[in-house]
Amino acid sequence: MQRFTYLSPKTLPEALELMRSHAGRIRPFAGGTDLMVELRKDDAKLSEMKYALDLSDIPELTEISGRDGLVSIGAMATHDMVAHSPVIRLAAAMLSEASLSVGAQQIRNVATIGGNVCNAAVAADTLSPLAALDASVTLQSVSEARVLPLADFVTGAGKTAIRPDELLTKITFVPLDGWRTAFVKLGRRKALAISRMNAAVALRFEGNTISGARVSPGCVFISPRRVSSAEKLLLGGEPSKELFEQCGKVVSDEMVKITGVRWSTEYKYPALSAVVSRALCIAAGIPEEAT
Amino acid sequence: MSELKFILNDKPVCVEVEDNARLLDVIRDTLGLTGTKEGCGVGECGACTVIVDGDAVDSCLMPAMRVMGKSVTTVEGLAKDGHLDRLQQAVLDHHALQCGFCTPGLLMSAKALLDKNPHPTREEIKVALSGNLCRCTGYEQMIEAVLDAAEREK
Repeated sequence: MQRFTYLSPKTLPEALELMRSHAGRIRPFAGGTDLMVELRKDDAKLSEMKYALDLSDIPELTEISGRDGLVSIGAMATHDMVAHSPVIRLAAAMLSEASLSVGAQQIRNVATIGGNVCNAAVAADTLSPLAALDASVTLQSVSEARVLPLADFVTGAGKTAIRPDELLTKITFVPLDGWRTAFVKLGRRKALAISRMNAAVALRFEGNTISGARVSPGCVFISPRRVSSAEKLLLGGEPSKELFEQCGKVVSDEMVKITGVRWSTEYKYPALSAVVSRALCIAAGIPEEAT
Repeated sequence: MSELKFILNDKPVCVEVEDNARLLDVIRDTLGLTGTKEGCGVGECGACTVIVDGDAVDSCLMPAMRVMGKSVTTVEGLAKDGHLDRLQQAVLDHHALQCGFCTPGLLMSAKALLDKNPHPTREEIKVALSGNLCRCTGYEQMIEAVLDAAEREK
C-alpha cells in the first residue's frame, strides 16, 4: 500500500486551501472505492500522491437540493443517497436508477457521484444520465468557482478538465419535470457488474406525441453525450416499439460513425440498439420484450 | 502514525495506526478481531463487511482513519452476554453456512438491513446481500435465515 498523509478538513475553505498548498501531491478522497484499490497496486500511477484529502467530514458536500428550478447534488453524495433521494427520484429517476445499479450496497454506501464523475471511466454508470440531463459541474479553487458542462469536463477516458488545485463541489441540472425517464444497463451479472453498455433516456409527451427527447448511450463514446440524430427521429412521433427500435439503430450508427468498425462491432451494434430501444419502451410504458 | 479513536462493538478504543492503514487490517491485526475476513481485497466479495454508523461497508476499501469518532460493529459485536443474535441463531437453524468464510460478512450485511428495515421482503434481502459472495452454500438458506430472523423479531 502506498504511503500517504491523511487529511480530513471540516470545512470547504480548509479543503480548498489544502488543495492549493499541496497541488500536484494531493488527491481528493471521496468514497475511495476505486482509489483504495489503485493505491495497493504496485504501478507508479499514483506515486506523486503524498496526501489523501478525505472530504467526508464536510457536510455541505453531501447536500442534495432542488430549488429555483435547479437540482444540485453535492459531490460527496453517495450513490445510496442519490438512489433514494426524493428530489432526484422526482427530477431525474434515471439518475436514481443508475446510482442504484452501481456495485452493491457496501459500495453504494460509500462511493460518491462526484467520484464517479471525476474518475470519468468510460463505463461510469452516472455519466449517461447526467449527459441526458445536460448537467454541469462546479469546480472550485481558493481563487474562483467555475461551472462547466459535463461534456466539456470529461475530456477523454479517465481524463477531465479539472485543475490540480480544484475540487468538484457539486453537480447541477435543470429538472425534467413531467418527463418520463429510464436507465437500462447491460452487465455480466446483476450486482457488482461494470456496465458493458447502458442507456439513459427521457421523453416528454403532449398527448400521445413525443414533444421532447433525450437519448444518451453510456460506455460507447469517450466522453458522455446525447445523440441528436436519434432524438430528432423521436420528436413528433408516437411511441411504438418499431420507432424505438429504429431509434436504437440510429444510436448504433452514431457509435460506428464515431468509433469506427471494430472487432466488437458485430456484438455492440445490435446490443446497443436493444439497450436504447428497451430504455425508450420502459420510459414510454410500452411492452419491451427482447427482439 | 496517527491516533485513531472510535467505538468498536460498543466499546471505545484508541489505537496508533498508519495513515494508509485499511480498517480491515486495524480490526484484524491491531485489535485482534479476526472474525472479519479478507477475501478479494477489492470490494467484490463482501467477506470483510462491517457496519460503520449503521451502514454496511467493505472494510478492505475503507481507510481506518475514516472511522475516527464513528461506531464500528464487527461480527464479534453481534452476540450479547453469551447469547447469539437472533440472526446468528437463524443462520445456524437454516444451515446457511458450510465453510463459514463468507458468513461474518453476510451476517453484517443482513444485520445492517434488519436494523434499517426490520421486515424486509425477499427481494430487499437479495439486494442487501448481493455484495456478498458465497461459493459453497449458495444464497437460498441465507435468505430464508434472514426472513426467519425478521419473523422472530415480531
